[in-house]
Amino acid sequence: MMNKLQRKQPPVYPVEKVVIPEAKSFRLKNATPVFMIEAGTEDIMRIEFVFRAGQVKEYMPLLASTCNMMLSEGSQNYSSEELNRLLDYYGVFLNQTSEKDCAGIVLFFLNKHIEKVLELSREIMFRPVFPETELNSLMKKRLSWYLVNREKVQNLAMDQFFESLFGKNHPYGYQIREQDFENITPSLLSDFHTKYYTPKNMAVIISGKIHGRTAELLNSHIGNISSNENSKETSVNLIKEEKLKKVHINKSGTVQNAIRIGSATINKRHPDYPGLKVLDSILGGYFSSRLMKNIREEKGYTYGISSSLSSLDLAGYKVISTEVGQKNCLKAIDEIYKEIKLLQNVAVNKEEMAVVRNYMSGEMVRMFDGPFALAESFRSAWEFGLDNSYYYRLAEKIKSIDPDEIIELARTYYNIDDLYEITVGTV
Amino acid sequence: MINYKKFTLENGLRVLVHEDKSTPLIAMNILYDVGSRDEDQKMTGLAHLFEHLMFGGSLNIPDYDTPLQLVGGENNAFTSNDITNYYLTIPSENIETGFWLESDRMLQLDFSQKNLDTQRNVVTEEFNQRYVNQPYGDVTLKLRPLAYKVHPYRWPTIGMDIEHIKDIDLEQVKRFFFSHYAPNNAILALTGNIGYDLAFKLSRKWFGPIEKKVILSRNLPVEPQQTEARTLTIERDVPSTALYKVWHVCSRNSKDFYTLDLITDLLAGGESGRLYTKLVREKKLFSEINAYLTADIDPGLIILQGKLMKGIDIQYADESVNEVINDLQREKIIKVEMEKVKNKFEASTVFSNTSILNKAANLSFCELLGNPGLINNEIDLYRRVSHRMVIETLEKYFIPTNCSTINYISTRHEK
Repeated sequence: MMNKLQRKQPPVYPVEKVVIPEAKSFRLKNATPVFMIEAGTEDIMRIEFVFRAGQVKEYMPLLASTCNMMLSEGSQNYSSEELNRLLDYYGVFLNQTSEKDCAGIVLFFLNKHIEKVLELSREIMFRPVFPETELNSLMKKRLSWYLVNREKVQNLAMDQFFESLFGKNHPYGYQIREQDFENITPSLLSDFHTKYYTPKNMAVIISGKIHGRTAELLNSHIGNISSNENSKETSVNLIKEEKLKKVHINKSGTVQNAIRIGSATINKRHPDYPGLKVLDSILGGYFSSRLMKNIREEKGYTYGISSSLSSLDLAGYKVISTEVGQKNCLKAIDEIYKEIKLLQNVAVNKEEMAVVRNYMSGEMVRMFDGPFALAESFRSAWEFGLDNSYYYRLAEKIKSIDPDEIIELARTYYNIDDLYEITVGTV
Repeated sequence: MINYKKFTLENGLRVLVHEDKSTPLIAMNILYDVGSRDEDQKMTGLAHLFEHLMFGGSLNIPDYDTPLQLVGGENNAFTSNDITNYYLTIPSENIETGFWLESDRMLQLDFSQKNLDTQRNVVTEEFNQRYVNQPYGDVTLKLRPLAYKVHPYRWPTIGMDIEHIKDIDLEQVKRFFFSHYAPNNAILALTGNIGYDLAFKLSRKWFGPIEKKVILSRNLPVEPQQTEARTLTIERDVPSTALYKVWHVCSRNSKDFYTLDLITDLLAGGESGRLYTKLVREKKLFSEINAYLTADIDPGLIILQGKLMKGIDIQYADESVNEVINDLQREKIIKVEMEKVKNKFEASTVFSNTSILNKAANLSFCELLGNPGLINNEIDLYRRVSHRMVIETLEKYFIPTNCSTINYISTRHEK
């Protein structure tokens, strides 16, 4: 028989160095950049068409997102219903994405349907007609989704958070109001589309087991579309943060309060960003983070608490998010500040450094595992004019950062007086 | 095609292995054959609370998460009416730590009063976050007891009343562990960068010494056939009125399952589904509408939910839903429409099986159903559904006396 097993932790091996496949790049006839990442075992592909056509470009609320959503609501050659039926018939999954900086479409499909996919993509991206009937019903639907979302404390808190950080007049910051849903017209959409959905504003990111004729087919379907050279970009207001650091929004009938604490900060282009990522993880970026351990696992105040660090083109932001029972709201806020101060004053010990280093190294492996993850990681560096060297710097920083540097970063970037504190719920 | 090998340890633990060398990671999934249907009706929510306790330390390991993170791993778990499922992904060189962690908590939990007290609060906050502090959040709590009168599916996984978990003590927690958490009541699946030999060796080493237990036998009451249409009207301060309808259907293993799945897709498969096309796009009665099949092991439900546009009468909306379903029965379903949902099913199955985590969870669940090979047959089973099967199945299940409806009425004044 076997000897009695010693139930001790098996040897811990350092997570192998992350290897990121390089994207192959080329340009279409109309100069659109294309990036191809070969990965995966199945005959499937993901194609993302990304445009600099996000909220930051809009000159009135809802314009960018509505333009994006209306792309599949009817084109020169297909009605909205036909487009959707065809996409479903060919088993294509279409995501329309509209974010603060970029907007576009992502398609997932079986390789054998690539020609049909590209034909439909061209219709969706470059030949939308923005029919009035579809627009009206979309706006009614969106209004009703909006009203439901505004019932949720977490949405009210996040909307206010962005307004506080980026101001009432900047597209990163302003909150949507009910009357905004009445202001969008087909001609506004068409104008926005002409300006921003153009090849010169665009990139194509492809991953999967890439079909042999992809480049040729892309050229024949997309490569001959030209950019309108006459259209001028509209300038938008500058970012101007709100003065008031603490905002409470009263919402009656709630049993939990939403808390958002954070501020604007550096983005991915800044050399301190990788270090700040490590600090953010220690604070609230994973299950064994300080905030989770203290506020959920020790005190049981909440189902979840996290912090995150995000990058936008014009700024970055960090935010601590949680929903807590009313009676524990103030106690939770105190604990959050206590944890930040601790990071500013006490060096993180060796054991905790080892856990966060290895956890983050594991995360990096997951970020580059498989065709979909690879494409997403590529995109989120490309957006900032960065390439894989950003990830190698991050990997290096995860391994090399020392506790003093963490203290330094916490003091520089988590000055408590600079933080906004948004709460929503019943006092 | 997902190639896998299976073996069973002497203590009854079933292990399935699928090697995929294209990834540097391994996914490990452990399914325990226990869910909220196995709870005492006076102690509902225990299975889910127990899932939380599984992270609070085991016999030889005071804290589950930290050592896993120390080797670059990540994990989570969920509880359903039927199962409790734990999963992790880990860089392949450190897979043995996964075996160490999972086998230790299968061996024995560290039953700590402190952990029980904390997780009781965490779960209460989870209940508040999901079911109380959300518009329409309480509908799940109302829908199940309307549809089920005797079967334990009548309560949701979180519990029928959050007070239940407040009364649970450590003795009851222990009893639950010793009657459900055992190698002979679990299925382990390993997918990704691991070969069969290593998987076999490590499974034997870490799980082999754990003793079999006597599992509490399952004697669930059978839900009697529903014989009258049931309606419940709820008034709430929400922005718009919502309609919920459920029909009793078959179990996951029944021959009707794929036909029902296909019917659900004809009705609600994306923007070209019939409900969306007729009721959102054409008649503009709903702002959103959806329907899905609960893939429960005992006879489950088709759940349909929709939010009404302002000013639409709920009776009219309800009749219009029934009309869309009746049309499906009467009209000839065009061939391309059948082909469309079949193509979409094929694509979504292929996509879902690109993730090692999905493959591990699917393999475990198919094994629980008694047929791991199902993971490779599903597309075929779905493709084989004929027009005649659709008609017969519609006639069998979509009858008014088999349906329960919730009219969730907005009391807010319209502008």
